[in-house]
Amino acid sequence: MNASRNIAEPARAPVGAWAAPARVRLGWLNSSKGLGILLLMPALVLVVLFFLMPVVLTGVFAFTNMSTATGITGGAYQISPGALRVLTDRHGMGDLAERLGQPTYVVDDRGLAALEEMGIDPGIIAGLRRQYSGETYSSRREFERDIRNLPVRPDTRTVKRISEVFSRSLGNARFRSSTALIAAADAIDPDLTEEEKEALTATTYTGWTWTNDNFRRLATSRDTTRVFFNTLFFVAMTLTLFNVGYAMLLAITTHYIPERPAGIFRIIWFLPRISPVVIYVLLWKWLAWDTGFISAVLSNFGVRPRNWMLDTAANAWFFVILINGFVGASMGMVIFASAIKAIPESLFHAASVDGAYRWQQIRHIILPQLKWPILFVTCYQTLSLLTSIDQTLLATDGGPGGATEIWSLWVYHTALNNYAGNLQYGLGAAMALVLVVIGIVLSLIYLRLFNYNALVAKPRIEL
Amino acid sequence: MTTRLLRTTAAAVLLAAGAGAASAESVTISVWAGGSGPNDNYRVDAIEMAADILEREAAIRGEELDITVEKKLDNTWDDFKQAVTLAAEAGNAPNILVTGHEDIAPWAQSGLIVPVEDYLNLDAWPINDIYENLMEISSFGGIQYGLPQDAESRPFFFWKEHMRAIGYTDEELDALPESVESGEYTLANVLEDAKKMVDQGVVEAGYGFYPRQSNGPDFWQFYTSFGGIMEEDGKLVLDKAAMQDFYQFFVDAVEAGVTRKNHIGTPGDQWYAEVASGKAGIWHGGTWHYARYVNQEGLEDFFGTLVFSLIPAGEGGRPNTLTHPLVYVVTDQADDDLELIAAELVKIASEPRINTLHAIKSAHLGIAHQQSNIDLYANDRWAREATERLLPHANAMPNNADFGTYWNAMWSGLEAAWTGQKTPEQAVNDVEAELKNSLGEAIIIR
Repeated sequence: MNASRNIAEPARAPVGAWAAPARVRLGWLNSSKGLGILLLMPALVLVVLFFLMPVVLTGVFAFTNMSTATGITGGAYQISPGALRVLTDRHGMGDLAERLGQPTYVVDDRGLAALEEMGIDPGIIAGLRRQYSGETYSSRREFERDIRNLPVRPDTRTVKRISEVFSRSLGNARFRSSTALIAAADAIDPDLTEEEKEALTATTYTGWTWTNDNFRRLATSRDTTRVFFNTLFFVAMTLTLFNVGYAMLLAITTHYIPERPAGIFRIIWFLPRISPVVIYVLLWKWLAWDTGFISAVLSNFGVRPRNWMLDTAANAWFFVILINGFVGASMGMVIFASAIKAIPESLFHAASVDGAYRWQQIRHIILPQLKWPILFVTCYQTLSLLTSIDQTLLATDGGPGGATEIWSLWVYHTALNNYAGNLQYGLGAAMALVLVVIGIVLSLIYLRLFNYNALVAKPRIEL
Repeated sequence: MTTRLLRTTAAAVLLAAGAGAASAESVTISVWAGGSGPNDNYRVDAIEMAADILEREAAIRGEELDITVEKKLDNTWDDFKQAVTLAAEAGNAPNILVTGHEDIAPWAQSGLIVPVEDYLNLDAWPINDIYENLMEISSFGGIQYGLPQDAESRPFFFWKEHMRAIGYTDEELDALPESVESGEYTLANVLEDAKKMVDQGVVEAGYGFYPRQSNGPDFWQFYTSFGGIMEEDGKLVLDKAAMQDFYQFFVDAVEAGVTRKNHIGTPGDQWYAEVASGKAGIWHGGTWHYARYVNQEGLEDFFGTLVFSLIPAGEGGRPNTLTHPLVYVVTDQADDDLELIAAELVKIASEPRINTLHAIKSAHLGIAHQQSNIDLYANDRWAREATERLLPHANAMPNNADFGTYWNAMWSGLEAAWTGQKTPEQAVNDVEAELKNSLGEAIIIR
């Protein structure tokens, strides 16, 4: 017997003449399966949009060399000096590079005919023919100067249009498509081989290309190991000391003190989580700056003022873990505390009657009952610490000297932060993808470790 | 006949109306400036002034042009560049940008910006009056992409009173800039003097030499001081020995107790307040610091309190300074007319008189010859002396699309060595490995 089918039954009653075809079309809604999918739809759309799409896009970006310089939408073909240098150095095509690259402007009949077609003032064309026919210029500026010296002086926009028509080189020219590039190159050198054309297309392309290079760079870079161990240290310490350890301590101690003070105590520990992160970190900075609280107090004892947060790598770690830990502890505290509350009072009374100490109560009653919440908090907090960035960014920004650079911060610094305006989206995405993979693997390990199947036994009753 | 007349009249009226609508053009031009503090408002205000002139020019030609200028100043560089690149990817790039010249290379490659030479007559006033080397710095691959917005250079500063306290006479202090320029007074002397100040209690430990507290182009000057070059024939160059000497200098400063090990990350406001109040003995900054010290930090007698010079030479190098001109660049827009108007605005904003407002208010250096004939500029002691003493020795960073990668590696190496995470040798080796890995043949390592 299926309960949901029973509930859905009355809806079948026809309401009007139009209801009959509607019933046929929406018939699938009457099964719990169909209704379930419909109800899940909004969630599915959100999951696809905000989880699946970003992950898939990260995966796609990771295999490209995208950066600000290449753009993300595609590129053009530009015969820049840099491209010509690569053509010479890597492909040994120095001659071709020279021919393509030299800017030349030739006043010839072809160009003059083109001007007539464009509807340029005949006076200008006549002047060009009379004064400069056959002339060759190696600089655009010089040629344009001469155009302006004509008796009928064209305006700047027309000067630009005229000079473009007489350009007989590809130096710095930008083409939208490779066919346009090859056509233009063919006009200059009709004997180009297929190989040369390919090299030309590849070296002049300004957009992004597919590549495995990001992963090769990650695998061989010395920074990778350093940042990896930084991240491991950060997650392990914050998780065990605060997010689980300290949270448990708070939950158990507040369990044994009267209700009202316990509530106040818990609210205090909630403050780091509910205060805006910028203000929260700023308070820590005021505490630790060389003109801050710690320095002010210690200077009375002859200790030289210093920036305690950035003084040494150890100091920085101390603060980073504390700042993140205080935020993280509150969540574990709430979950553990409510789980302890769910343990029947009678168990504690019975234990007290049997003469069990507090420690024995904790060990034999509370902890065994908290297995599932501990798994949840550990798993959830590992993943959230792996991707946590805001507190560390604001506090040390990875300093001093990269000592507290953790993976997520490294991704940010690579993909979204560059002093010279060239953000490395591709490399950053590859780094982020590694993080996604690590997250998934860790989740699987946790489920295995805590034996999920045994924990959540198959229900004996069917709802 | 009547119908025909009517029809012709109607057509004529329609045409006239159409022409009228076309000439009454109303456009919005947005301009964003990066790294701009309270004294830098003329970077964007100049565009507004230019819009007024362009509107009047159009009116005289009988066209109706109405330009609304939207201005935005961004105090930082990182955030500004992030905002610009992301806005451009989303197709919302502002029309005009005021940015560092080093952005031209990557932004030109991506097509984010368009060459101003496609719209402007480079032989016309005021462009024909702009210093040739600044025009060169605003171009890439032989194309004029932008126009210089300002120039500056980055001097060394000495606090006179502290120098006197360790035995310098007034004559020696007056001669100091020359002995720096001749290579007599070197970075080794800087450490020596800073140490004297700390040892004698003139300044607190860590305040003898008090460098810039955040990433910036300034640090390339020390690389140059030790003989390093950034680019040769269009290819980036890493000179390992110079890089190591440069790292070693900062490590030595920390070890001697004259520079703080945890100096990087000091809040900027705190840094300015400290150097302008005599808490530090020797430091380096930029020409624009003059405006900050005098206007915001309350330093009254600038010339009586400070000596400024080039960055002293290290071993194997030369005294130098770096100029990091900002440039006006025009972004690619779907509507070509907007690019034309933006380019025209940038041109007019480069008028010596308009640019002088920015130069003097923000204590930057001028961009054009004729500015020395404008009283406001010529009568300003700081602009005059800084131009004479510093600008002839100024280098600029290369316009190279890969320079950002090189810069990041240089900075992380310096940070690691300075804070004691790595020895200078290790740091340089790591920089080399990183650059070989990421840039390959695009960088020459020697």
